[in-house]
Amino acid sequence: MGVARVVLSSGFSRRYTGGKREFDIEAKSLRDVIKALDGLYPGLGEHLEEETTVAIDGEIHDAPGYFQRIRPGCEVFFIPKLEGG
Amino acid sequence: MNDIATGFKWVGTRPIRPDGVPKVTGKAMYAADYTMPGALVGRILRSPHAHARIRSIDTAKAARLPGVKAVVIAKDFPEQKFEYIGPERVAVNFWHVTRNIMAREKVLYEGHAVAAVAATDPLIAEQALSLIEVDYELLPHVIDVDEAMKPEAPLLFEDMITRGVEPAPTKPSNTSKRLEFHIGDLDAGWAQAEVIVEKEFKTAAVHQGYIEPHACCVRVDPDGQTEVWSSSQGHFVVRALTAKLLNKPVGDVRCAPAEIGGGFGGKTVVYLEPVAALLSQKSGRPVKITMTRDEVFKATGPTSGGSMWVKMGVTKDGKITAADGIFKFQAGAFPGSPVMNACLCAFAPYAIANARTVGYDVVCNRPKSAAYRAPGSPISAFAVESVLDMLAKKIGMDPAALRRKNAAGPGTEMIYGPKLAHGGYIETLEAIMNHPDYKKPLGPNQGRGIASGYWFNGGGESSATVQINADGTILVATGSPDIGGSRASMALMAAETFGVDYNQVRAIVADTASVGYTHVTGGSRVTFATGMAVVDCCKKLVDDMRARAAMIWDVDVDGVVWEEGRAKPASSNVGDFKPMPLKEIAAKAAQTGGPLTAAASVNAGGQAPGFTTQFCDVEVDPETGKVTILRFVAAQDVGRAIHPSYVEGQIQGGVVQGIGWALNEEYIYDAKGRLDNPGFLDYRCPVASDLPMIEPILVEVPNPAHPYGAKGVGEVNICPPMAAIANAIDSAIHRRLTELPMSPPKVVAALEQEAAD
Repeated sequence: MGVARVVLSSGFSRRYTGGKREFDIEAKSLRDVIKALDGLYPGLGEHLEEETTVAIDGEIHDAPGYFQRIRPGCEVFFIPKLEGG
Repeated sequence: MNDIATGFKWVGTRPIRPDGVPKVTGKAMYAADYTMPGALVGRILRSPHAHARIRSIDTAKAARLPGVKAVVIAKDFPEQKFEYIGPERVAVNFWHVTRNIMAREKVLYEGHAVAAVAATDPLIAEQALSLIEVDYELLPHVIDVDEAMKPEAPLLFEDMITRGVEPAPTKPSNTSKRLEFHIGDLDAGWAQAEVIVEKEFKTAAVHQGYIEPHACCVRVDPDGQTEVWSSSQGHFVVRALTAKLLNKPVGDVRCAPAEIGGGFGGKTVVYLEPVAALLSQKSGRPVKITMTRDEVFKATGPTSGGSMWVKMGVTKDGKITAADGIFKFQAGAFPGSPVMNACLCAFAPYAIANARTVGYDVVCNRPKSAAYRAPGSPISAFAVESVLDMLAKKIGMDPAALRRKNAAGPGTEMIYGPKLAHGGYIETLEAIMNHPDYKKPLGPNQGRGIASGYWFNGGGESSATVQINADGTILVATGSPDIGGSRASMALMAAETFGVDYNQVRAIVADTASVGYTHVTGGSRVTFATGMAVVDCCKKLVDDMRARAAMIWDVDVDGVVWEEGRAKPASSNVGDFKPMPLKEIAAKAAQTGGPLTAAASVNAGGQAPGFTTQFCDVEVDPETGKVTILRFVAAQDVGRAIHPSYVEGQIQGGVVQGIGWALNEEYIYDAKGRLDNPGFLDYRCPVASDLPMIEPILVEVPNPAHPYGAKGVGEVNICPPMAAIANAIDSAIHRRLTELPMSPPKVVAALEQEAAD
């Protein structure tokens, strides 16, 4: 398991984490990331799952999935969910 | 025609589409073609006012009319909780959604539904509508987004407090939400800039313009089981929304997909299905509702009109040092414009160290906006790509070279946070710069313009099932309504994976009870995400067929490989068996374990964004202001074109809609807030005779996350045309048009002004 840099959007951090945007989280999957954030801010995990799109090393995943792999040193951005036409 | 060598047998070829024959022979079944035994005709009473309080609705006379079997108004629908849930962009609030389906306290736009009837024939239904008495208290209205943001503007919701502002405002307004994204240090960026341009822009609300109006036929049985036939971009979403708005379990609703006559984003939401379901529930009979074109224009979502300000700075050698933009979007009567996407996409094609975008989502007395092809991105692109052209002209640089110098690529930090993972943009620029016509001389009153576009593309949840029949034919069933030829693409990917002839594969769209959950056909996601589910199914079946061949040969499965549609021994060590084709294995299905079927579901991620660059040549008639498009070339990174003809069709279609947005299309309101042009005669979409051949250039930078390299192709092509045409007009007549549509009166007015540049 390695440490990932995890970043929330400013709007999201304002609403749920008192403005804290960046976290270093030990994880091997996105499930670990969500679990760790939910441990720090109870209830945050559900908001992340429902309301965000996640970018892992820039690769965009519309819906966060527990199975998504996190490599040591990778960047995980939770950004507002996108909808197309 | 693009001719690209792929190394594949089927992927990248152009066979006839499986839904072609029924469509060209008029046999295809669209939503309005479906009916059910005993079906009633549903009709909806709509507000004649842009803004009014509903004092009362009296339906008694209508209900007594012989032949009328049910009447519903808003209070017949369950109330929904006031909360914003789900995706940030659409910020779904079912308190709003149910009020858009049927007005409660107020009507918020002309065409807003206030009541519905079901009757035995259309004339009785129409007569019943005329007998419904609605007592309105007229209220002042507001149509324009800048007017709606003024402190003295009439309020649509007296308690709406702008979200995203801290501290929260104490007074209500029509601004539902403020968003801001930034990167770097703007002040430092302006200090480095040697040339700065800032400009204001306006775009008109435009409709998706699908040929087929919304329609549905719904039956609710006494035990609550509900069957829906309708035209949509996602019957699973129709199911979810219908169930939610009627407080039904999702499992009680079954939705079947009709053929769809266009959607372009506008059919990702529901208007009719919950109403028809409630009328059916009350009457005990199926109910069919079909919108008129007038209703489509007045009551279904166009995309937002926008009011924007963009400022950008460059060095004299063309390095962009700073960029700033404010984007104010009409949401229509309820919150939820695509302004967030506009903020995220505005500067996305470029590596800009210092940038900011600010967005405002503003309600006004228009129909609620709905998604439209790359929602939000074309609007901000019009402003940004126009300013880039002005900068290029000021510093004397080729506009493509300016873009090339600042192009985003893998590793570019994006305004929304992460670094870009995929390339493709530079390749589209180079395709345009190397095009033989890009430097071709032009005549008097002619001009050339270039612009680029960015769209995220989509992934997410999709499902498929694949069956191999006893004769070796193959059925591929997915949950994705086919709008742009996806059945052909699915069949091609299946044929390629199996190694069999394309004509052995039949692809269909299955109903919600017959295949797993699949998100909408939208966001340019289907070939990517649903394609992955199909390929997963095929791979499972290949493994299954290898195992069955191994059983027949009585060898270990590891000793069997799959090549060119046949099971073969992996080597002579395994034994000397004649390769066994798929058809032979299928014929032995019963003996080897039963039918050959597989299902797969994915939450697909790693979709690559779409980039495009386009140029056009125009001629301006100085007498009339008419702009004629002489040439239009569009280069788009498509990953890999699974069926190149349909990819080219997507590009041409997106460009045509962009040309309409640029030159002709707009909602025109009278002084009372009533739409003046709710029909295709007065709402002018381009037709073939208005257009030259639109030349698509397929740039293939495959996406490694997809088994065949596919990227979404359906949306980004609509982003550049408005700016490309504005830039071409400026090149032709030295007038910068900043307001859409650039219709003849506006061009003539511009010609009467002094040249600005």
